[in-house]
Amino acid sequence: MLAPMVRFENVGMRYGSGPEVLRDVTFVLEGGSFTFLTGLSGAGKTTLLKLIYLAEPPSRGLISLFGQDLAIAKRAHLPPLRRRIGVVFQDFRLLDHLSAYDNVALPLRLAGKRDYAHDVEELMAWVGLGDRMHARPPTLSGGEQQRVAIARAVVARPDLLIADEPTGNVDPEMGARLIRLFGELNRLGTTVLIATHDRSLVEATRAKEIRLVDGRLVELRAPMRVAL
Amino acid sequence: MSDSKYILPRDKGAAPLDFVIAVMAFLAALALGASMIADRAAMGWQSGLAARITVQVLPPEKSSDPRGDMMREAGAALAILGHAQGISHANILSDADTDALVAPWVGKEGLTADIPLPRLIDASVIPGEKVDVEGLTAQLKQAAPNATLDDHRSWIARLGTLADTMRYSAYVILLLIAGATAAAVSFATRAGLDAHHEMVALLHQMGARAGFIAAMVERHYFLSALFAALLGTLLAAALFLGAGGLEVIGLEAVPFLPPLSLKWTELPWLLLVPAATALIAWATARISVLSVVRAIY
Repeated sequence: MLAPMVRFENVGMRYGSGPEVLRDVTFVLEGGSFTFLTGLSGAGKTTLLKLIYLAEPPSRGLISLFGQDLAIAKRAHLPPLRRRIGVVFQDFRLLDHLSAYDNVALPLRLAGKRDYAHDVEELMAWVGLGDRMHARPPTLSGGEQQRVAIARAVVARPDLLIADEPTGNVDPEMGARLIRLFGELNRLGTTVLIATHDRSLVEATRAKEIRLVDGRLVELRAPMRVAL
Repeated sequence: MSDSKYILPRDKGAAPLDFVIAVMAFLAALALGASMIADRAAMGWQSGLAARITVQVLPPEKSSDPRGDMMREAGAALAILGHAQGISHANILSDADTDALVAPWVGKEGLTADIPLPRLIDASVIPGEKVDVEGLTAQLKQAAPNATLDDHRSWIARLGTLADTMRYSAYVILLLIAGATAAAVSFATRAGLDAHHEMVALLHQMGARAGFIAAMVERHYFLSALFAALLGTLLAAALFLGAGGLEVIGLEAVPFLPPLSLKWTELPWLLLVPAATALIAWATARISVLSVVRAIY
């Protein structure tokens, strides 16, 4: 059996003194798995992803990531954990003053790598942006920006890839191509979690599915190993 | 991680901070220069006074020939001073010299003949030699009972106090300016971080350490503070040199006061100002950034 990459136990999350956005969420993502996170808008998908990619601490419950219990992890240990996670944000979060190329190269620079030009160029060509490398994000279309965001998330070969609606702004053909890219990474060992409300995307693959309804995990699709 | 310099956008709103820093550095350089001038002047006065001894011979109260007795005592005192250890040369001030001394108060009418003014003996001390003031006083008391010796100790002490006061005032001013500079940089860093919050949060999310994010911000503030402070300091240096130029053409800022100019050899000390300013900016920016980044989970 593969080691758990992400483990949630009775996790609850509320912002400030507001209502709980997530309630008693318990599940495990095994290393090397490919999972869809589905649910209606406002069901808590983005919040659940934020807890996994270490943007927020949970209000209650236990989260462990790469085998480390986050409740007892020291602050200084979090940056290396974050570097093992690639994130495709729903709003892309590209740096407008940098070119598309420099945006994609950012994780490699943060990791202290020097010879990244070939990797970055090859990946950008793969996502169809070979001729847009030096364009700034504001001059790119929504779909192009999304592909830059995806390329940035995968360029450092993360152990865990988290994508929030990664195909929302691209045509079905490019959407299928991007899912193939994620599948390719998954075959190379990356654990993938994709939040989407696109049923066709989920139906087209045989991947696992976890579903959020009103902040609770209520539905699974085999072969999930989820304890509710 | 030398690549960090490519990540930070060029800040277009930094000109007001650069201006504030340049003005602060200008004022700091003025304070530092003024303290150096005060120090030099006080040392000049002190060494001038310390190199002199004055003996004052009063006319005897109960004497039929006060002026004659006074001149005799002055002659005896001069003889003692002439043989004293450490004295290079001594002379009795002439009537004309004495008139000149009192002229500002009683006019130039040559009153020395009418008023019983004391006789003054001006003695020079050989530089570096110590004069046995107590021994000299005792000898004078015997030979010239109406003579008193003044080695200007109380004046020297007062000038020392004056110089210390000016020096410490300058230090306080420098400290205040340093604090104000730190406050301005801290304010600007936080405003800058607010403007770039998205970017800072993203880098943090991607696993950049707080020190890495701080490094790219602090380098920017260090360099811009260094250049702005250099500009302000150069302006102050030009002012000090300009004051020297005025004296060369015969215009004194204030008569009796020491010249308000710095020598070429003293100017390099002013470079302490931009160096310290850049360090303050660097440290303040670093502390501000670290506190902001650490507030994020």
